[in-house]
Amino acid sequence: MKLDMVNLKGNLKFRTFIGFTVLLFAYKLFLYNPDSWIYILINELLVGITVVSLITYLMDLIHSRVVNPISLVMNIGILNAILFFLFILSGDILGRLFKIAAGSLQSQGILNNIIAFAYSYIILGSTVIVFLILRELYFLKQKKSVGLYFNTMTVFFVLASLGSFLKQIPDLDYIRDTFFIISILLIVVNSIKISWIAFIVKKEKISLLILSVLISILFVVNLVNSASQSSNSQILSAFSPVMSQFLTMLMIYGAIYFSILFFTTLFHIPTAEAFDRKAKEVTFLQYFSKLITQSTDFKELASTVTDITTKVSSAQAAWIAWKENDEYKTIAVKGIGYYDSNLLTDFIFKKKLYNEEGKSFFIDLKSLKNKPQLSENFCSVACEPLRTHDELKGYLMAAAKADNVFDEEDKNAMDTFSDYASLAIENYRLLEESIEKERMEKELDVAREIQRKILPAQSPILDKLNISSLFIPAFEVGGDYYDFFEIDKDKFGFVIADVSGKGISAAFIMAEIKGIFESLSKTIQSPKDILIKANEILKRTLDRKNFVSAAYGLINLKEETLSIARAGHCPILLIRNNVAESIRPSGIGLGLDFGPNFSDSLDEKIIKLEDNDILVLYTDGITEAKNSMLEDFGTKHFEEVLLENSGKNADEISGRVIGEVTLFSQNNPQHDDITLVILKWKQKLKNDGVQEWQNSAPQLKTQVM
Amino acid sequence: MAEFSTSVKDAGDVNIIYLKGYLDAHTAPTLENTFSNLIDRERYSIVVNFKDLAYISSAGLGVFMAFIEKVRENKGDIKLSAMSDKVFNIFDLLGFPLLYEIFKTEDEAITKFKEIKKLENQ
Repeated sequence: MKLDMVNLKGNLKFRTFIGFTVLLFAYKLFLYNPDSWIYILINELLVGITVVSLITYLMDLIHSRVVNPISLVMNIGILNAILFFLFILSGDILGRLFKIAAGSLQSQGILNNIIAFAYSYIILGSTVIVFLILRELYFLKQKKSVGLYFNTMTVFFVLASLGSFLKQIPDLDYIRDTFFIISILLIVVNSIKISWIAFIVKKEKISLLILSVLISILFVVNLVNSASQSSNSQILSAFSPVMSQFLTMLMIYGAIYFSILFFTTLFHIPTAEAFDRKAKEVTFLQYFSKLITQSTDFKELASTVTDITTKVSSAQAAWIAWKENDEYKTIAVKGIGYYDSNLLTDFIFKKKLYNEEGKSFFIDLKSLKNKPQLSENFCSVACEPLRTHDELKGYLMAAAKADNVFDEEDKNAMDTFSDYASLAIENYRLLEESIEKERMEKELDVAREIQRKILPAQSPILDKLNISSLFIPAFEVGGDYYDFFEIDKDKFGFVIADVSGKGISAAFIMAEIKGIFESLSKTIQSPKDILIKANEILKRTLDRKNFVSAAYGLINLKEETLSIARAGHCPILLIRNNVAESIRPSGIGLGLDFGPNFSDSLDEKIIKLEDNDILVLYTDGITEAKNSMLEDFGTKHFEEVLLENSGKNADEISGRVIGEVTLFSQNNPQHDDITLVILKWKQKLKNDGVQEWQNSAPQLKTQVM
Repeated sequence: MAEFSTSVKDAGDVNIIYLKGYLDAHTAPTLENTFSNLIDRERYSIVVNFKDLAYISSAGLGVFMAFIEKVRENKGDIKLSAMSDKVFNIFDLLGFPLLYEIFKTEDEAITKFKEIKKLENQ
């Protein structure tokens, strides 16, 4: 849409220009009378408007181009050359044309007019373009707003040109002269302000030196031609004396501008190299910052590194030799095939062509015997180490086809660049690490959530059984599981299990285990049979290296018995009469053996419950809790705490145990889930029939110790 | 956290893996690699020496389960030896003595392998 608008605008300007051209042409052809000053005035007015409309039209066109000073200078040179030929050949060609016109007598005047008009128009067009390009050059890379100077100069050009209109009145010559002198002064002032030279490279400066001499000579020649009384200047003066004078002014400007440009460039030549280097450094810095910010994709990063390497050095090819398991592999090539780069990498690193690993080194392939047969003829190779955290990650390799092409400057540039590249790689690594960490934490969040949902939200409340359950998850989910099953009014089942491994895989197995026990407890009574069946079911799903330790117990509330079977789990502790007894019927872990070994070895134990019996189910998170010296909390310590507090209710005992464990392991992070289930058997109710203790909600601590 | 390392010694037909440090979910892959390498080399008579093992977690125990089938299919075995009481207790709780032969010393385990070899040759 916007482009259309620009085009439309351009079109409109072009049409205006054409309109005025036609008007001017018609006026010249039919109305013009060079003897009357009124006619001349109207003529100048029309020419002026046409020129302005042409300028406005062309200004956008020229300005919208990408500006390269050298090409602008070249354009001026070409236009000047055209003008030069027009001036030189005008006498000859125009003379012939006029002769031909003279042949057809009737329309001689008209034809002459048309020829003169066309000729003047070509010169007018060229003049306008030269003016616009000079203007463009003037504004190039100017920091301050210097428009005022240029516009003033233009105004004085016009004023000085208008002076020619006053030729007829010799008394007013001083006005013309004043304008002329001021114009020259302004030209000089404006020509000194050439700031774009600093921004071009040395090579361009040298070509500019030659160009500026040629162009300033052309300008002078054209100036002489346009100012002389030759046929062309006569035609131009006849067309429009003001324009003719403007052309002269412009030629003066051009001649002065390019002469000064020549000297300015000459003075810039000695410092050109330093300028170039500074400019290069600035560009490098841009590349570097690009590198640092671009570190989300390693491939992309590696290819940017190689790409920039070829830009900052004289190398035609670059690649990265990445260290993997003490071998160097080629990644990210630029300007070289994988075949060649692999050959070179192998050649250099297998033969250990370096003095010390991890330092930069340069290799002159020509001087080496049995060098690899490359498809392209590379002669010099530079190898810069890439290191992160003092660890050598690989080498940044750069190769060039010329001999010993890497000079000090190249080496410095590559040294600096490889440092930045290392930094970028390190950045990438850190980012990757933190993403991985975040991913793992998310995963663990999911695992913890699964675990939280799997474990019972509340401990059941029974008349004869005071139950407390406590679970503290480790940061990495440990796979602890416990559950209660109120099978019927006389039967109460419970299970505790610990899945091997950690994290989300452990959490999934946990979920499976819950399903298995949930359904088996409803259909099978015997703890032993339940575990045997559970093992059979797990055979179908469990990985070879995963297993589950579990203990399943069934309390017959009416008969006051506990039957229990254990599949590799920690023993169940029975606290009775201030003695801790380890209930440890034999049995191997679920999933360790799917043959008869499992059922053959599995025992079931039946215990007659007595008043105030305390059954303690736990996972190794308690006994293996470690202090700062990596000592275990231990079974003995555990039993001591239980015995000390055996008079208390289940919740209180549980609280004391956890208090002790926490105190013991306070300087060491918790590595495994902690599960503690305490069942206290109460045979006799108090006289009033109300229990002396109340069951409370399980202490589900969710903080990570 | 804790360090773990393994080293392998060839003693005739038998290979001995020495464990050192803490074997848990994070360090288990090291031991997995050690077993894989031996099995790749078709070395199926393996004795594991636990003398310098300070701790083993359930994930560590899982490593032995992961390879035992493959080893026994190839008429080999993994025999465990020189466990500290603490480590043995962990194996014992899970019922490993029913699944693996556990010896007091490395030499006893090697001798056992040699005896089997003799029987086979007869």
